[in-house]
Order: sequence, then structure tokens, then C-alpha cells
Amino acid sequence: MKLGIQTRLLITTTVVLGTSLTLAGVVLDRSFQASIVAGAEEQLRLVIYSLMGSMDRYGDEIRFNLDFPEPRLNQPESGLYAVVDSDDGDQRWRSPSVITTGVRFPERQAALSAGEFRFESVRQGAVDRFFLSYAVIWEDTDEALLTFRVGTDQAPFRSAIQGFRRNLYVGLGAVTLLFVLAQYLAVRWGLMPLRTMAGEVREMEEGHRERLSDRYPTELRGLAQNLDRFVAHEQRSRARYRKAMEDLAHSLKTPLAVIRNALGEKAPAESALLQEQLDRMESSVTYQLSRASATGPVVVGHIVNAANMIERLVRALQTAYSERGIEVVQDVPEDLNVRGDERDLMEMLGNLLENAFKYTASRVRISAECSNVVCICICIDDDGPGIEPELRQQVLNRGTRADQVQSGQGIGLSVVAELVALYQGELKIGESPLGGARIRLELPR
Amino acid sequence: MRILVVEDEQILREQLADKLKSAGYVVDVAEDGEEGLYFGREYEYDAAIIDLGLPKLNGIDLISQLRNEERRFPVLVLTARSNWQDKVEGLEAGADDYLTKPFQMEELLARLNALIRRAAGYASPVITDGALSVDTAKKEVRVEQAVVELTAYEYKVLEYLILNPGRVVSKTELTEHLYEQDYDRDSNVIEVFVGRLRKKLNPLNPIRTVRGQGYHFNAERSD
Repeated sequence: MKLGIQTRLLITTTVVLGTSLTLAGVVLDRSFQASIVAGAEEQLRLVIYSLMGSMDRYGDEIRFNLDFPEPRLNQPESGLYAVVDSDDGDQRWRSPSVITTGVRFPERQAALSAGEFRFESVRQGAVDRFFLSYAVIWEDTDEALLTFRVGTDQAPFRSAIQGFRRNLYVGLGAVTLLFVLAQYLAVRWGLMPLRTMAGEVREMEEGHRERLSDRYPTELRGLAQNLDRFVAHEQRSRARYRKAMEDLAHSLKTPLAVIRNALGEKAPAESALLQEQLDRMESSVTYQLSRASATGPVVVGHIVNAANMIERLVRALQTAYSERGIEVVQDVPEDLNVRGDERDLMEMLGNLLENAFKYTASRVRISAECSNVVCICICIDDDGPGIEPELRQQVLNRGTRADQVQSGQGIGLSVVAELVALYQGELKIGESPLGGARIRLELPR
Repeated sequence: MRILVVEDEQILREQLADKLKSAGYVVDVAEDGEEGLYFGREYEYDAAIIDLGLPKLNGIDLISQLRNEERRFPVLVLTARSNWQDKVEGLEAGADDYLTKPFQMEELLARLNALIRRAAGYASPVITDGALSVDTAKKEVRVEQAVVELTAYEYKVLEYLILNPGRVVSKTELTEHLYEQDYDRDSNVIEVFVGRLRKKLNPLNPIRTVRGQGYHFNAERSD
């Protein structure tokens, strides 16, 4: 199945927005991390400077002022440690925090030259730490090279990063959601006219609506108007075509009536051949014109209430056949609706009912059901002589030339069979429990 | 029986008129709906044959208008279109029967006969009244099973009276329904026909004279 426009737009937005916001998140995360590490380095540097500022040396011994610049160096487990190494790598001084915690400074890889800083991040057991080393030539005695080394636990920095990261991703997620929601609403709103149009077209198909409404936005107005114009044009040309067919029928049949009447004046022997040919012409004209005027299942159609139509036809036929005193039983649900052209349906039902009235002895029964989802079914029963199996076949074989079908019941049924086929329905001829013919008409809903 | 024929096709109209006249009807013809309406309003008819596709005023509107003006004579509709919409609309407008062109004249006459009979309330083409029996299809009259030979005009008088039972029919009415307009018949002629008819129907005497008013058919309908 093809994806809907709304789904397409939503998927695109979600993917693009998601990717770009994730990228932005990663970049922000990285920068923040870098700035935190730089901050840590800077902090350690300050500790080194303050150590240097408060250091006194007495021979080999190193001491610091009592007003120690970094109180944390005095506290155990404080997370800040410092040592001072001599040139040969001996630890000449360790901060109290180093002694109580037992922190080991990483092995010196290579000797630092004077004035050089080295910053490193080392994992020690379960703890990550930053270390900063600085070599300096202490000039007041014997110009010895001292290395100040300071370390700090990474935990506080880590938690700052994690806090930031959490806020970042929650924020970005919220923004994404908000955007997707906004997009969804925008798309829904934007596509609403299309949805309305689809609904109206469906209503037109079902025959509940004649034309589209005119409340469409500029972008769709042209399309809606064209569609309306197309439908109107189609209806007009259908009507014109039908009118042409009717005029043709009139202009063919009136002369036929004149010829037939003129022939009636002549002796039967003289006119037999002509009468026969006239019958053939008449059948052809009737059959072909009915066939040509049929509209068939219409795209933009009407819902025709067949129950109402049956009622009208029966009333009309009862007027015309009033002296026969035919008893008509109708068992037709009121909501028997058929989608199609009113005239076509009237043609089918009219011919079938007329045959029933014409050939019945006394009773006609019309029953219908519309419980089936796929099709409706109308049964017409009579208690007349029935239809011979041979004729049944002949009538139902579509394409049988009309002039080969006997006139009378045959021609009407052929016309109906043709129409029913056009509607992709089914016409069945059988025997009725009443004793005559049963015609069963099935039409798709 | 006076029949109105409204048909726009000249040849067909003439054929219809000829055929109906030779079948013993008095015929008025109109070539469009307006003329048909005029005739229908002005004269009393026993039936009308109306084509649906008429110029000026179409057949369906013509029938509706006639019915609206309380014109109750039976109407047979002719349609060149076999489509049912027309037939149903014609019947709904007030027509009593339809015939699709091209039709057989014999069928038209049979339908017309049936319509007139039905309008008088008879179901069967053979109307019996005690020992008298009139076959409206064959135009044959029997008294106690024996065929009575009647002239065309004698038959027309009897048929008109039997199809208008239970009311007094004036001589003028009989003249109007049995003769063409341009015939200026003396009402004495009617008296002569009725007199001969009574003689031929003897021993039955179904036709009563209502002094100063006309004739009354003694209907003891037994059908």
C-alpha cells in the first residue's frame, strides 16, 4: 500500500529533525566536555601556583605555610592531592590528603623540562583522576629542578557533564516532540481541504451530492472547479446523448408505425414478407436503442430507491392492466437502494414487471432483499405459462441479435439482460412456486 | 363514440383517424398539445389517444391539465420512446393505458374499446343485460342468443346508451357523440334510429324515453 501524504511528511520531518537535533546534541556534548576538562586543568594549575607561592625550603625539607592555600589538600578523601618531586624522582613532599588516601601518582614517563606542564587523565582502579605536573627550577638554594604534581578526582566533573547531558537530551527530545506535534497539526490542517474533497467526491459517488462545495483554498479551487465542470459536462453530455437517442427512436418509430398501418390495409398475402421485415426492423430499433441509451454504472451517480420505483411501476401497470384484476403482492424493504442511473433501473424493472403483468394469470409477487453487502436481489414471480427453457437461454445469451429473438417477451428480456450485464449484475430465469416464471435480478450495491 | 386524437405526425394522424372512423368512431384530430387541450376542454369525448412527444404542450402536461380540469374520459398514451420514465409519468399524470409505437392498429382498437368499456364499469368486452348481450369487440348484438342485425348507426346508439347506463342521455348528446361535427342532423333522425332499434330488440325494451330529456338505458347489469 502507498503511504499517505500525511505519513510521508511526518516520517520526513521526524527523520530530518531527529538527525539534526542528535548531531547538535553530540556537538554540544563534546564542547561542554572539552570545556569541563579545560576547566579542571586550569583549576589544577591554580593549585600548583598557590603551592609554589606558599612553599618554603629548608635544605632538603619542604614546608608550607600554615594558611594553606587549598584546605582540601589537608583533608583525607578530599579528592585533591599534591606531591613535590625532586629532580631524581623522589617525592620530597606529599600533601596530607595523599598520605591518608594513599593515592599513587602515575609513574613519570619522561622528565619534564623546566616551565613545562603535563596534563593527563588516568584511571586508577575504579577512580578516574586528572593529573597536572609542572617542573620548575627552584633558585633560592642550589637551583634544583622540582616537579609539582597535582591530582584531582574526576567524579565532580563527571557528574557535571552527566547533569548537562541529561538536560541537553531531555531538552532536545522535548523540542523534537514539539516539532513533530506541530508538524502533525500543520499537515493535518494543511491537508484538511484534500480530506474534505475526498469526502465530497465519495458523497458524489454515492449520489448524496451533486457537486463539490466552493469552500476550497486557492491551491485546490482550480482542481475543484475543474472536477465540477467535468462532472457537469459528463452529465450534460449524457443527457444530450440520451435526448439524441430518444429523438432517433421517435424519428424511426413513427415512420415504422405509418408503414405498419399502411401495410395493414393490404391483403395479408401481399404484405406478409414486408410485415416480417418490419418486425425485424422494429425489434432491432427497440433493442439497439435501449442498449445505446443505457448509461451503465455511473462514476458520479445517484442512489436510486428501488422500492419506491417498484411501487410507482406497479401502480402504473395496475392502471394499464386494471381490467385483468391482477393481485400484486409486494415484499420489498423500504431501503432497497441501488447505485446507478434512474432510467436504467426503471428500464430493467419496467420491462420485467410488464412481462409479469402481461403473462400472469392472476398473481404477481415481487420480493426483494438487500441484506447482502455485495448485491441486492429482486425476485419477480407470476403464475402465467412460464418461459420455455429454449427461450431463456436465447435471451440470456448476450449478443444474440435482437432480430433473431422473437418479439414479445423475448425482446424486453433481451434489453434487460443487456442492461444487467452492463451493471455487472445477474439475471436468472427460472420457475416460480406460483407456477409461472421467476425472474431473479441481482445488482451490485 | 367520440374520440380525440392528438398526434403531431400528419400521416400517422390521418391513418389513425381513418382507421377509427372505419371502426365506427367519431374522430376529432389535433396536431399539437395546445390544440388538443382546446378540443379536450370544449367537447365531451368518450376517449382520447394522445402522443407523448407533442409540440407546444407535451403529452404529459396535456393529460395533467385535462385531469385538473375534471376531464375524466379515458386516455390512451402513444409513445415512440420505449423508455419507462415516459410511460410511468404518462400514467401518473392520469393516462389509463399506453401503447408503444409502432403498434398494430388492431391492438390500438382493442385497447381503446377496453378503455371505454372500463370507464363505463364493464370488465368484459361482452356486456350482458338479462337476455340482451352486446359484444363490443365484435360489435355484435344478441337477444336470447340470437344475433340481431343492426346498421352501424343503430349499433352506435345502442352501444352509447349501454356504455352510459343509469343516466338520461339527451338527443343532442347522442348526436354529438355519434356524428361528425359538420353533420347537421335533425334530432328526428335519432328518434327514427331508436324506434328501429326498439323494434329489432323486441321482445326486450331496455331503452326508455324520458319526455323532454332523452333516453335512459334500463341497466340491470348482470356481469
